[in-house]
Amino acid sequence: MPPAASTHSTTHLNPMKTQFSRRGALLRLGGAIAGLLAISTARKVKAAVQTFFVSSGAPKDYDPTEHKWLMCLDANKCIGCGLCAEACKKENGVPEGPYFRTWIERYIITKPKPGSVETRGETLVDSPDGGIHGFTGCPVPEDQIEQSFFVPKLCNLCERAPCIQACPVGATFTAPDGAVLVDPKYCLGCGFCIQACPYGARFLSPVTHTAEKCTLCYHRITRGLKPACVEICPAQARIFGDLKNLKPDDPLQKFYESNRMQVLKPYLGTEPRVLYAGLDEEVR
Amino acid sequence: MRPFKLPPQILRLVLLTLIIVGSYLMARAFLTPQSFGEYGWYRGDAPEEIAARTPIFAGEQACDKCHSDIVRKLAADAHQTLSCEACHGVSREHADNPNIPPDKATSHYCLRCHEANPSRPAWFKQIVVKDHYSGECIECHLPHQPTQQPTSTP
Repeated sequence: MPPAASTHSTTHLNPMKTQFSRRGALLRLGGAIAGLLAISTARKVKAAVQTFFVSSGAPKDYDPTEHKWLMCLDANKCIGCGLCAEACKKENGVPEGPYFRTWIERYIITKPKPGSVETRGETLVDSPDGGIHGFTGCPVPEDQIEQSFFVPKLCNLCERAPCIQACPVGATFTAPDGAVLVDPKYCLGCGFCIQACPYGARFLSPVTHTAEKCTLCYHRITRGLKPACVEICPAQARIFGDLKNLKPDDPLQKFYESNRMQVLKPYLGTEPRVLYAGLDEEVR
Repeated sequence: MRPFKLPPQILRLVLLTLIIVGSYLMARAFLTPQSFGEYGWYRGDAPEEIAARTPIFAGEQACDKCHSDIVRKLAADAHQTLSCEACHGVSREHADNPNIPPDKATSHYCLRCHEANPSRPAWFKQIVVKDHYSGECIECHLPHQPTQQPTSTP
């Protein structure tokens, strides 16, 4: 015992001793525990009452653990009409301006300079208005183009998503069915996930000031509809399906069996579940 | 041997720590949503809330309910991959109430895909509009059966 404490030999005069008896302390502790238990029970009752009386409008018969969604994109089929990007804006109420949940990139690879030993020249990538009005004209004279194509882009539904690792509050997550979603009630709008996404698939909404991204049209797929971009694509460049409920002749299965599938930026180890067929090496 | 007595300053520290930890636990019990952690480190109710949004595009099943003749015609010809709402626009209102007409499809939609562009894939049918024709597309092409021609050209 330290000598300083031993000088207080007359402990019965210590006010601390009279205030806190063992019995009183134990009673208080028991009361606090009972209070905590009562709170959790009250919250359970409240939640039960809420689910009984409040209808959220969400489909009731959808179980996220019974599905696993997969999106395949055929780069050979994309005709660059931009209907998908436009439909996405309409379907999800994406704000006006340079905000896109899905968009189309135009790649233009020019011819190599005469006399050079390169097989191709420079690569130009553009996406005017995300392609929502389609693509007209070409910024490079036609005789200088070696190769040109369109690539639809969206959230890559990473199995090991950097955005989820970056989120400090648990506002972004992978749902059990594979959709990477943002909880707008939890999102602080810090923007870490936007910086973390290697595919540029997220933006900070100027309306809600929270991070927004492709939800795979979660309100549609939970009702048995296709995502708006898949529904609208006139070239069937987007193939969407449920890996846990594959039909015998599912277009998704047929597609990934008959094509060599690639992912964007495989060296990052994000394990995307958005697969591409017919990608050029220039596409990143 | 003297009996052990807890020094009062230690007791105060212990009590303060207990109060801090206790108030943290209380706050957490009140503030954490009930569904947090249901599936993972996020609010389990969030997916349901996101799913509560009303779909805007009606989808082809909705069109098929009344216009199955046109849907069948479309599926039998070269435009079989085309969805109704690609050209007719968002038709949720029309599907819910047939008295509200959908948007009028114009030749703007034809050109959006079929105007020649060096970036489009070679297999896709494209035209250079100024070399092709100056009138309306539907004068010569049936949008639902693009390989056939209208029987009576105006």
